[in-house]
Amino acid sequence: MLSVLKKELKTYFLTPIGYVFIGLFLEVSSLIFYIYTYYSGSLNFSYIFYDSAVILTFIIAILTMNMFAGERKNGTDQLIMTSPKSITSIVLGKFFAAMVVVIITEIFSCVYLAIISHFGTPDASTLGTTLLGFILLTMAYISFGELASSITDQPIIAYIITFVFFFGSMYISNLSDIFSTISFMNLYEKFVDGIIPIEETVALVTFTVMCIILTIIILQRRKNLK
Amino acid sequence: MIKVENVTKKYGNFVAVENISFDIEEGEIVGFLGKNGAGKTTTMNMITGYIEPTQGRIEIDGYDMNKKPKKAKKQIGYMPEGVPIYNDLTVKEFVNYMADLKGVKREHKKEEVQKVIKETGLTDVQNTLNRHLSRGYKQRVSMAGALVGNPKVLILDEPTVGLDPQQVKQIRDLIKSLRKNHTVLLSSHILSEVSQICEKVIIIDKGNILAIDTPKNLEDKVSNKNILTVTVEDTKDNINEVVNKIDNIKDIKLISENSDGTKQYTIFAKDDKDIRKEISETFAKNEITILELKKTEATLEDAFLQLINNYSKEDDDKSNKKNKLNEDKQEVIKEIKTKSDKKIIEKQDEEGGKK
Repeated sequence: MLSVLKKELKTYFLTPIGYVFIGLFLEVSSLIFYIYTYYSGSLNFSYIFYDSAVILTFIIAILTMNMFAGERKNGTDQLIMTSPKSITSIVLGKFFAAMVVVIITEIFSCVYLAIISHFGTPDASTLGTTLLGFILLTMAYISFGELASSITDQPIIAYIITFVFFFGSMYISNLSDIFSTISFMNLYEKFVDGIIPIEETVALVTFTVMCIILTIIILQRRKNLK
Repeated sequence: MIKVENVTKKYGNFVAVENISFDIEEGEIVGFLGKNGAGKTTTMNMITGYIEPTQGRIEIDGYDMNKKPKKAKKQIGYMPEGVPIYNDLTVKEFVNYMADLKGVKREHKKEEVQKVIKETGLTDVQNTLNRHLSRGYKQRVSMAGALVGNPKVLILDEPTVGLDPQQVKQIRDLIKSLRKNHTVLLSSHILSEVSQICEKVIIIDKGNILAIDTPKNLEDKVSNKNILTVTVEDTKDNINEVVNKIDNIKDIKLISENSDGTKQYTIFAKDDKDIRKEISETFAKNEITILELKKTEATLEDAFLQLINNYSKEDDDKSNKKNKLNEDKQEVIKEIKTKSDKKIIEKQDEEGGKK
């Protein structure tokens, strides 16, 4: 798993993908920070993080679209699939590599936290749960992106599937209360209150595990269908 | 070292590979020959564990690919068709990654990677990005990826496709040098190359194995013993009369008259007999000097084409028979239907008459 993780991380930063992702995220979250803190005078860090999470909906697929679709398109999947590494370790290696990129982005955005801390004292528990929720949400996003990438040979199709799914889930909740739990942003919303919501945590973790298992099954099935 | 037992691969109703079996012993270099779409790559993909067979069993160095894939795959170095490599990595990074994937231990990795880079002649370009390399170099990088970790078995799918003659020679020499430590299965379209490198050849067509033998044996099988080429000095110009005296000669044809006065003929013998001795003796008695006398040699290409053509013919015959059978069946059904229709009409007529 570590070898795949290392290589994937390297690829993110040898190609524009990693920089585009980090750049876009920081640019938009800087704008949000400016509006909240300088323009509105708010020192609530959680709100900044909450709105930053919305950006993920749009850009997470940049990281995930190439995971398997890109490999298949270039034929390099033959190299990993014929190696002694198990499919599980390949899937997890790619998953954690994308997670590391998001965490690096988070570390960068902690600059806003430092600025806010200079002017006041942010609530530690709210900050902690917001960060935990953000990581759980990222895990769910990446695992679905990885699943989408495993079902197609075209990275752009993987991007569209991922984007439409998360964007759709965000807006479908506005249609009726029945759909409110489908929205990942609604699940994340509960973390901003400063307590760890058990139901939402279980939902996000279960979704992540389910997507990873499905990805493994699809890749295993593809060996029979190819 | 490689054991393929009754392996079949189906895609829906289409049978890509049908019940093939073969064994490759340790240290052998085996060539896999076949037309495009014959099932070469599918078979190689199954051997490497990239795809799973619908039926059958594959064993690599005693490890079942289905039951112990990790151990079986560890014995394999695979160079896929079309040279898929990571273009964003340098040569060294790519070989390092392949070493990681194959589980080369950290303490040996640096040494192993450098050894393979040197072996494949990539030392000068090891820090170059793969995307900037020529096709020939990319081929070598892919080969280095297959070689790293010192696998016992090497599967090379079309290793010389798209290379210039000099690069082909370099890759060919490299493969030959691998004989000492590896078992090699390679597929190729270039038959002369296979006959030069390989000790054994597997010919496959439409998913079926047509022959497994040495290139020499395959050539001998199609070699025509009853066609001879002879160059003579015939000052009296009586070769046709002399030939008539030899019973076993069916026909003689003049191919060329050379500037030095000699003539080249093709002689067709009546049966599958070696008549070279008879010709030499009779010609000598009749003052015809033989400057050259040889059997028409068959090449691996001839053997390959003959096998493929025979198989296609058999296959066509089979499908013709099948079609004929279907046609007959249809005709019988039609006949029965007509008869029964007639009976019904007659019955109705009878009933109508009664009324």
